[in-house]
Amino acid sequence: MSLLEAHDLSVSFGGIKAVRDVSFTVEPGEVFSIIGPNGAGKTTIFNLVSRFYEADSGGMAFDGMDITGAPPHRIAELGIARTFQNTELFEHESVLTNLLIAHHVHRRTNLVTDLLFLPGARRQELDFRRRVEDVIDLLDLQSYREQPIGGLPYGARKMVEIARALCLEPKLLLLDEPSSGLNPEETEDLSFWIEDIVAELGITVAMVEHDMNLVATVSDRVMAMADGAELATGDPTEIQNHPDVLRAYLGD
Amino acid sequence: MRFVLKTNYDQDVKVFLHNGQRFWYGLLALAVLLAPLVLDRFYLGEFAYLYIWAIAGVGLMLLVGYTGLVSLGHAAFLAIGAYAHAWLLTQGVPFVLSVPLATAFCAIIGYIVGLPALRMTGIYLAIATLAFERIAAWVIEHWESVTGGHFGMRVPDPMVFGMSLDGPVPFYYLCLGILGLSLFAALNLLRSPTGRAFIAVRDSEVSAQSMGINLARTKCTAFALSAAFTGLAGTLFSHRIGYLAPDAFTVQTSIQLLLMVVVGGLGSLQGVVYGAIFLGLLPQAIAIGRDVLPQWIGEIPGLEPGIFGAILVVFLIFEPLGIHGRWVKVRLWFDQFPLYRRATYKRQRSYLRTERVR
Ligand SMILES: Nc1ncnc2c1ncn2[C@@H]1O[C@H](COP(=O)(O)OP(=O)(O)OP(=O)(O)O)[C@@H](O)[C@H]1O
Ligand SMILES: [Mg+2]
Repeated sequence: MSLLEAHDLSVSFGGIKAVRDVSFTVEPGEVFSIIGPNGAGKTTIFNLVSRFYEADSGGMAFDGMDITGAPPHRIAELGIARTFQNTELFEHESVLTNLLIAHHVHRRTNLVTDLLFLPGARRQELDFRRRVEDVIDLLDLQSYREQPIGGLPYGARKMVEIARALCLEPKLLLLDEPSSGLNPEETEDLSFWIEDIVAELGITVAMVEHDMNLVATVSDRVMAMADGAELATGDPTEIQNHPDVLRAYLGD
Repeated sequence: MRFVLKTNYDQDVKVFLHNGQRFWYGLLALAVLLAPLVLDRFYLGEFAYLYIWAIAGVGLMLLVGYTGLVSLGHAAFLAIGAYAHAWLLTQGVPFVLSVPLATAFCAIIGYIVGLPALRMTGIYLAIATLAFERIAAWVIEHWESVTGGHFGMRVPDPMVFGMSLDGPVPFYYLCLGILGLSLFAALNLLRSPTGRAFIAVRDSEVSAQSMGINLARTKCTAFALSAAFTGLAGTLFSHRIGYLAPDAFTVQTSIQLLLMVVVGGLGSLQGVVYGAIFLGLLPQAIAIGRDVLPQWIGEIPGLEPGIFGAILVVFLIFEPLGIHGRWVKVRLWFDQFPLYRRATYKRQRSYLRTERVR
């Protein structure tokens, strides 16, 4: 069974059809990439899956459950975490707090236990703190741990955002252009980390990416889009040489 | 320069980071506990008043400083807490029950006021809460059988197990104790998921949702809690003024409350205390100003609210992190002397809203 299954998704804004009749699946344990020129509708697909946008038609199922009408916070609870194209962190807080916020989905306490900080709340905090540290170790963020987000360089923000998504301990991780704004070395590190995330943590990855090198290195399957429609889906080399895809990128 | 070596995750969960903090806050606690030995009746009363403001400030800080929702209607919660408490006392409900009941009542009203807030932010929310404050004031004026209408109502003495807490010293300790508990509860919130959810909603609603945070529930909870703390302050406030009348709670009260959290420093509990002190000293400063400045200035109508408004605007523009933020910077400067970077608190390139997510 596919982990994520989307069929015939369409959405339009005003007159623009941002996504038209797109269907795809993400299989457990793979890296699935979406490529396409600017404005192709890639981010919109992620926003549909996150349920920030309401699809005009079509449906989605995650892990066998219909999520077409689920509220956005439910998506995270079910096990889909994401990052944002231009980073969307909790600006005024430290890296640590950002990562701790992500543990919200695992919370076992309620308002009253929190207000009184009963032993259960304390135990939970220590538990969250330990799990956050595992992610910090995995992505080498030790030196940024206590720093406020506002003062971090862009590359670090990108990594913190991935770390925050990992703290949800998701089944599926959606990465929106993880390499944009990173230098070549950071991009190379990123490809190793993506492989680690899949192999060690057993998390399935779906990503939107412009860097074809990165896409070719880490992806199992690639979907190419243009003007809101799917052009082709297949393995990376196949897609890179697909005539429709070449036409979309190079113009007619 | 202080470097705290952490060897245990417990240290991140603790209220005080290091022994230095424990020492200074301990000293402060001792000072306020022993204050009745040296202060006279008048100053004890003024301090108790300051504590009441700070309790209300904790409530507003949770909403404005931590959840990022503005309210210009908090005078209403102060009033509802005060009237509900006074009415319960006149019905023979004992003080120790009446305070939590009035507080809970405010929490419920707060939750309901929070509902329309789900669709509003910024100036719209400010106007909506202002409207709520006006409605509450109207109800208080007209519901004569309960509130005494324009004539107001006398507030019975606070009695605990047959003992009156109305004297300056017991009342001082009552207010101090409740402020202590309020600060502790707020601290607890902020080091656990509920408080972090508030912060998440403040900094990015989109991200908060993708972290599994239910926006609607979080905002309503923030409103309810905020109203509860402010209502709790209201119950004490009723004893402080002894006689409740509608003109004790006006829009100006709401603005003063907002002024307190903004001047103190949004997003910090210390800021609440700084803000309360500032607010406590302000009338004195204005009175002195009246004496010194030419008479016609003192006679300008609406001078006081004007000054409040002006201070609010000046702080929002020049010191958005308030007194607490200034203090943190000064401390860092001393800590890092001579290495302080002027740019430490400058925001890095930030991205236009339109460039993000959607
Ligand atoms: N909230 C919105 N309101 C109006 N139009 C939108 C909205 N979101 C997306 N669009 C439009 O939908 C189209 C697809 O946008 P989308 O952001 O999905 O592109 P993309 O493939 O992610 O491009 P890029 O590579 O530049 O990130 C664009 O024409 C965009 O203007
Ligand atoms: Mg995009």
